This record gives sequence, C-alpha cells and structure tokens, in this order.
Amino acid sequence: MKKIFTRMGDGSPVEMTETEIRRDLEEGTREAALRGKIPALGEGDLKHLLEIFTIPFRFVSVERGKEIVLSYDAGTLKIRRVGLSVNRIQALQIYEKLFGADTMELAHVDYSFKSIKPIVGNEQPVLEQALLVTHIPLFYGAMPNLGLYSQPDGPFPNPAELLPQGKIAEARRSYEDSVEAAVKDMVYVSTAMIESGADGINFDTTGAAGDPDFLATLRAAEILKKKYPDLCIELGMAGEFVLGMHGGLEYDGVRLAGLYPHQQVKLAEKAGVTIFGPVVNTNTSRSIPWNLSRSVTFMKACAEVSRIPIHVNMGMGVGAVTVTDHPPIDVVSRASKAMVEITRLDGL
Amino acid sequence: MSVLEDIIEAVIHGDKGKAVKFTQKGLSEGLNPLVLINQGLVAGMDIVGPRFKNGEMFIPEVLQSAAAMHAGMDVLKPRLKGKEVESRGTVVLGTVQGDHHDIGKNLVAMMLEAGGFRVLNLGVDIRAANFVDSAVKQKAQLIGLSALLTTTMPAMNEVIEILKKNGKRDKFKVLVGGAPVTQKFANDIGADGYAPDAASAVELCRKLLPS
Repeated sequence: MKKIFTRMGDGSPVEMTETEIRRDLEEGTREAALRGKIPALGEGDLKHLLEIFTIPFRFVSVERGKEIVLSYDAGTLKIRRVGLSVNRIQALQIYEKLFGADTMELAHVDYSFKSIKPIVGNEQPVLEQALLVTHIPLFYGAMPNLGLYSQPDGPFPNPAELLPQGKIAEARRSYEDSVEAAVKDMVYVSTAMIESGADGINFDTTGAAGDPDFLATLRAAEILKKKYPDLCIELGMAGEFVLGMHGGLEYDGVRLAGLYPHQQVKLAEKAGVTIFGPVVNTNTSRSIPWNLSRSVTFMKACAEVSRIPIHVNMGMGVGAVTVTDHPPIDVVSRASKAMVEITRLDGL
Repeated sequence: MSVLEDIIEAVIHGDKGKAVKFTQKGLSEGLNPLVLINQGLVAGMDIVGPRFKNGEMFIPEVLQSAAAMHAGMDVLKPRLKGKEVESRGTVVLGTVQGDHHDIGKNLVAMMLEAGGFRVLNLGVDIRAANFVDSAVKQKAQLIGLSALLTTTMPAMNEVIEILKKNGKRDKFKVLVGGAPVTQKFANDIGADGYAPDAASAVELCRKLLPS
C-alpha cells in the first residue's frame, strides 16, 4: 500500500499508510474526547483530516477568503533564535513587513512580569519608539510565572519543599500569597505599558505554574478591564490542562485545577479577556495525525462554547506542531489548515 | 452512611479529624481493626488513586488523603498487636544513580503503602548494586526504579544487568517510571513494567503480584 510522508511529534520523519493514518486520527480524537469529556470528531471531520494528510505537496494552505488573523507572542525574542542579530524594534518590523503578522508583542528577554517590574521604566520608551515605526497593533506581554515568587527566587516559602514535609496548609498559603503578589506586579507593569500606548496586554504561557498562575492572571485581567474598559487583553495558556499545584483555588466559584480549554475560556470571558489563546500539547512519541486529530477535537469544543475570539497556539510543541526548534513547514501548514477549516476559530 | 463509608469519605476529603473520629467509632461499634483498614482507610485511598490519575485530584489533596489515612492507622496500631496486617508484597524503591529527584518517587511510595504494599524507600542517587542488595535482603518481590533525567535512564538498565549477571533476574519484577521513561524504553531494557504515574504504579504492582 502507498506510503504517505508525515512525522512524529518529535519531528522525526515517518511513512504511514492511509489506513494507519486513519487509525491514528480516530485514536487521537477518541483520546481527547475521553480526557476532556467532549464530543469526538465526526466522520466528516476525520475524512477532511485524512485528505489534508494525503495532499502530496510539502506546503498546504486554505482557500482564498478563508485566511485568518495571525497574532504572535514573544516574536521579538524568537527571531533571534534563528541567528538574526536584530534589536527588538527591528524584529517587530520584520514580522510586520515581511512575515505578514497582524499583531505583534513587544517582549523583554526575562519575559516575566516580576522581572520586568523594576525595569518597566526602560521598557516604556522602547514601546513608544516601536509604536512610531510600526502600523499593526502592538501588545506588551510577559508570563505570570508564579514560580518566581517562591524561594530562592522570591519571598514566599517553596511549596516544592513544604509538600514533601507534609506541610500542605503552609504550601497552599505560599501559593495564595504568590497569587496576591503576582496580581500586583501584573497590574503595575501592564498599567505602565498601557499608559505608554500599548494596544493590548498579552498574558502569555498562563498556568505554567498551575492553578495559582491561572488565578493570578484572571484576577489581573479583571482589574485591568475595570480600569481600562476598551483595553484588548490576550490570554494565552501554557498547556491544555490546568495543573492543581494548590488544588483548591477557585475563580467565580469554579475550581481551576483540571480545567481543559473549553472550560478555561468561559472563565477568561468572565474576567474580561478579549482574545483567548488555548493550547493543546504535542505528544512527541505519537504521530502528527494522532496529535492533530486530538488537538482539533479540543479546539473545536473550545471554539464552540467561546463568545470571545480564539487564537489557537500553533508553535513548537503545541497545536500538533512538532517539538523542534524549527518546526517543519509540512507539519505547520497542515496543522494550520486543519485548525482553520475544521475549528471555528478566529486566529492563530 | 455506615462507619466504613464515613471513613472512606474522610480519607477522600483528606480530613484527618474525621478519619480519626470515624475509625474510633468503628472500634467502639466492635468492628475488626483489619476491616477498618482494608474496607475503610485503604478503600478510601483506592478511590483517591484513580481520581489522581484522571486529573480529578492533585498532589496536595492526595497528600492530605494519605495524612488522613495515616491518622486513622495510628488509632488502630495499638489494636493490631498479634493481628497480621495483610501485605500484598514488598517493593524496594528508589531514584537511580546520578538523579536526585524524589517528589514523584515519594508519591509512588506513599500510594503503594496506601495500596497495601510494604515499601522500602531507598532514597535518591542509588547505585544499581544497592537496589539488588536491598531487594535480596528485604526479600522483596518488586524493584521500582525512578528517573527524571534522560541522562540517568541508562542506570535502570544497569540494575537489570546486575540481576541477570547474578542469576537473580527471575526473582524480582522490575518496574520503571519517571517523566522521560516510556513503555518502549521499558520494553527495550527488559523491565517487567512501566507506570506513567503513581496511581498506575499501584495498579501495575497489583497486576504483577495478585493477592
């Protein structure tokens, strides 16, 4: 039987038959449905995914008129990874004028609100200069990164040390204190950058430190939205699942630990978030057909319940894109096409 | 609700006070301490394990549940003299040489204990020969190897090689786990099993050593 070129989640090439691809597509959607307690993809969607994988071209795309918005996080940091010696403003211009970015984010290399707080006065003129030489909306963004609030990096006791000692209440209190401190830093830095003209604020890689991380972001978004009702707030997730590092934290009466994208987005809406960036992680030991089918299943469920725009995270290690520094175009374009054509989303 | 159901609920909710209270109540009602352990305290942890695996409960809650179970056990210990607490088997567990990660491995140890196994937790950075010596000395049936680094995974294979060299491979079941470890790796080195998380480790040990 004819073999079709595709890849594994770690980027390594693999050749599969149509039957094997179809089997992985079915398994991938079934796995997502089981985990997220959401509907699996129907026959039509599975056939469409199979067609995308059997197109013989290296690069695939969508029909004219079906193009969607491309927003980027941390682009000013990523372009230097490919060896381009450009400053951040030049990086923004490259993305805007050469790559067709619809929005960009100015980011500092430390990329955490806590680290940026003492240097926010240095960041403001960079943003102001950038706004003068670009046309697309410019976000300022960073990670909530609650890991920086516990010892040795921060003031609060380290829960990873307290938990093995059985000091569960103390560990939880440390997380709660971290949330309070992080909210203050996020609001402080965001306010400064908004006052300098930022078109929006991007809370990136939210939930990386579990439920306290997600809670801090939701609270910061709520405060900022009250302060600046017209502000665009983008909230991008770190992973598909909110880890219960604390386990008992709630927002608006909903327990945060264990939430999947279709549940996360409802809380983002309530907090006043304008654009939600859901994530589905790529499994390196499974094929891209398996990963893409799984990812599309989660994203479809998320987009169906969302009342705010969805910009799916599609990059290294997420959205069925391979976990490689330079994701291959065959995978990126197929994953993007599938997301646009099957999932009712608004941007990538 | 019966007192056993109350104990199960107390363990699931990690309520030490209630676990103690209902265990004492069970004793005052004349229930056998072994019944209170197996059908109350351990039965509660048997529900906690799968919930942890399914992402419905998380590490702080599992630790609270374990603390509640141990609080109940402390009530029963003085009544257990002369009574044999049934053990499903002995597991020698540790993190392999060169690797100092212990949180996940300790969680596995805790869940195995709660699941009725006797566990000898050797700690971290354990030489391959130590696993084998301890397993022989403790008359263990299972050896559990943990690694969080790809660079330390080969040390798992060393344990199996020493067992083979000493003619003891068929005496012990070897289980492997840790973030970078996969079923394929377990198969490649000839381990008897792989568990992706603590709850699965308990299931796997029970499968390998049926009571």
